[in-house]
Amino acid sequence: MKQPLTIALAGNPNTGKSTLFNALTGLRQKIANYPGITVERKAGTTIIGGVLHKVIDLPGAYSLNYKKLDERIAYETLIGSYEHEDAPDLVLVVVDSSNLDRNLYLATQIMDLNLPVMLVLNMTDVAKERGIEIDPNVIAENLGIPVFAMSAKNKGDIEELKSLISEFEMEVPRPLKWVPNPTLHEAIKLVIEEWIEPCTNIPERAQNIEALRLISEGEFIGAFYKFEKAELGKRVIAKARGIIEQDGGNPMAAEVLRRYNFIGEATSKGSVQTRQNEKTLTDKIDAVVTHKVFGPMIFTFVLLLMFQAIFSWATPFMDMIDLLFVEGGNWVANTLPPGMLNDLLVDGVIAGLGGVVIFLPQIVFLFFFIYVLEGTGYMARAAFVMDGFMTKVGLHGRSVVPLMSGFACAIPGIMATRTIENWRDRIITIMVLPFMACSARLPVYALMIAAFIPATKVLGIFTLQGITFFGLYIFGIVMALVAAAVMKRFFPKGQETPFIMELPSYKMPKWSVVFHNVFERGKVFITEAGKIIVAISIVLWFLASFPKTEMPEALNGDTTEYDSSFDITENPESYQLRHSFAGKFGKIIEPAIEPLGFDWKIGIGLITSFAAREVMVGTLNTIYSIEEADDAENATLKEKLRNDINPETGEHVYSIATAISLMIFFALAMQCMSTIAIVRRETNSWKWPTAMFVYMSALAYICSLITYQIGSNL
Amino acid sequence: MHPLSNSKEGEEIVVRCLDCNCDDVCRLNELGCVEGVNGKIISNQQNIILQLGETRLAIARKLAQTILVSPV
Repeated sequence: MKQPLTIALAGNPNTGKSTLFNALTGLRQKIANYPGITVERKAGTTIIGGVLHKVIDLPGAYSLNYKKLDERIAYETLIGSYEHEDAPDLVLVVVDSSNLDRNLYLATQIMDLNLPVMLVLNMTDVAKERGIEIDPNVIAENLGIPVFAMSAKNKGDIEELKSLISEFEMEVPRPLKWVPNPTLHEAIKLVIEEWIEPCTNIPERAQNIEALRLISEGEFIGAFYKFEKAELGKRVIAKARGIIEQDGGNPMAAEVLRRYNFIGEATSKGSVQTRQNEKTLTDKIDAVVTHKVFGPMIFTFVLLLMFQAIFSWATPFMDMIDLLFVEGGNWVANTLPPGMLNDLLVDGVIAGLGGVVIFLPQIVFLFFFIYVLEGTGYMARAAFVMDGFMTKVGLHGRSVVPLMSGFACAIPGIMATRTIENWRDRIITIMVLPFMACSARLPVYALMIAAFIPATKVLGIFTLQGITFFGLYIFGIVMALVAAAVMKRFFPKGQETPFIMELPSYKMPKWSVVFHNVFERGKVFITEAGKIIVAISIVLWFLASFPKTEMPEALNGDTTEYDSSFDITENPESYQLRHSFAGKFGKIIEPAIEPLGFDWKIGIGLITSFAAREVMVGTLNTIYSIEEADDAENATLKEKLRNDINPETGEHVYSIATAISLMIFFALAMQCMSTIAIVRRETNSWKWPTAMFVYMSALAYICSLITYQIGSNL
Repeated sequence: MHPLSNSKEGEEIVVRCLDCNCDDVCRLNELGCVEGVNGKIISNQQNIILQLGETRLAIARKLAQTILVSPV
């Protein structure tokens, strides 16, 4: 092919479609969302025979019966009715060779779309390991389309696939190659001729598929296309179903059975299973991992191990980054002439940014674990194991994966709720998901725990710090479950969608994909959060540095005058901060947060962290950098917090009760503008994000109040 | 014929009838669970794990009660 093509990659989830996409496009790819919705769109380019082609990685789908948003996008793109995407010139249907029959269901549907199709039998290495031998030529002959067997991990296979594409003549397979039986054929014809053609704008290439969908489902609820004469449509569909029923058939199953028969015939000679009834590794692992007693225990252990590892493995890297920023700040302070620019860079930009970058290692470890758990196939087992429990508290087994993604960030978690078909289950999951301890809370937890919780060993391998850290994550989970159980009572009970999920085989994750994803997430954290944090740090530096106020001369024994705003234990920097704009504002809100154990400096942090939680640490770093006396310049933030003395009471600002109260507040409050925005987009209403903000913030205040009042009186 | 939920672990079965609502039938069909297909019960505890060819499906007990199967 010498002209540029748009090549679409379609297939079931877990078929290695994205691996093939990465192999074809390399670094020439762009990941964004489809306009107006939050479905991820991956597009890139590849050069084949000197011609630049566009490659689109469509969302994974089991069929073209678009029940979920992802599937609908894939379908609309394939039939060319999606306004933001070109119709493909060629579709590469990527199938898992070790599970051919099930994967070919979607492939045969795509073959009905009047598009050039090539079948890519991926994961042939896995099929071979399982004793499955496939003859691609026989499959190609039976299906009537070109078939190429490969492994997307093999560079040679990728080159061979490219050369096959360049030679492909773009023949279009004959639609309905699977041959519907006469009554089904008659029904399809009736629906197309009497309703689809005259009354809808469905593109011609999608008319067969749409007719089959209408016959099977008996309704056109959820249709994305324009139509008129709905009553006529209903009558025609009922008539078409009647034709099948009169012949003793089931309209719901007529197409499916015929398609699977065709697939069975096509693969029976081209695919041979040489080993039967052998217990696979997946069988052996599943016997333990999905066990009703061991399963939940293993799930809990995996979480505990993950959080303990995040805390201890990241520490050396965090110390290095901390040192780098302290030394860098000192170097800038000593190199630049004293003045406003020096103060702004050292106390504003470097201090604010350093306070956040330090947590990058923990975030990298967290995402690493999440991608490894996904890549091995364990995530689906976690959903299975927890389904019974989740159902009891008003959630769905499918809620487990979004909730676990919420440990990394609420935003992908909320986007992942699209796999939950039932609206009630989905909205409850969205509303409780921000309780899951996301990576943005990590900096606050890590700072407070490192500063105020001793590193005492527990059971030989754990530390009190690690257990506290784990406890906070568990606290988030418990609060999410309690909130879901309460919400369940207030939401009208609609039609239930029972748990059905494919459990993929266990496999080693593809490490290059894991590291690539972790790198991308780390980059997003630094660039996205960094931008906000630097901006807020500069504003804060200004608010905390102005107006300039001179401290009155120190009192001595002979002095009789006394300035009530000056305390003998206070240093000039602290005095300046207290009299700055920020200090004054903090003082205004202090009465409201004092019962929670927070002083005005924490108050400023709370206000700024409503934009994003991680801003809290940068804010404290900026405030404490401005406030610090010369002899404390090299102290880390945790040391400054430990040593902070309230000049009015002479007592430490932070007690253990204050630290725990603050962590509880962060565990529960809705402090993320991005989450609010994504909830607005996903629910298409301001009602849900407003309700979320109000109930979570109120709950945070009440729980924090109770924690501090009990803790400080013990 | 008996409901899938009453099958024993290790039992080999044939799916005979999907007596659930249209949406669930669609979902089961596209995952390979169609009338006439052979399968094996991997686990029957709270929910069911059913092996259909190379596809391993986790199915809620409530839904499994509406899938009628017979021993091979």
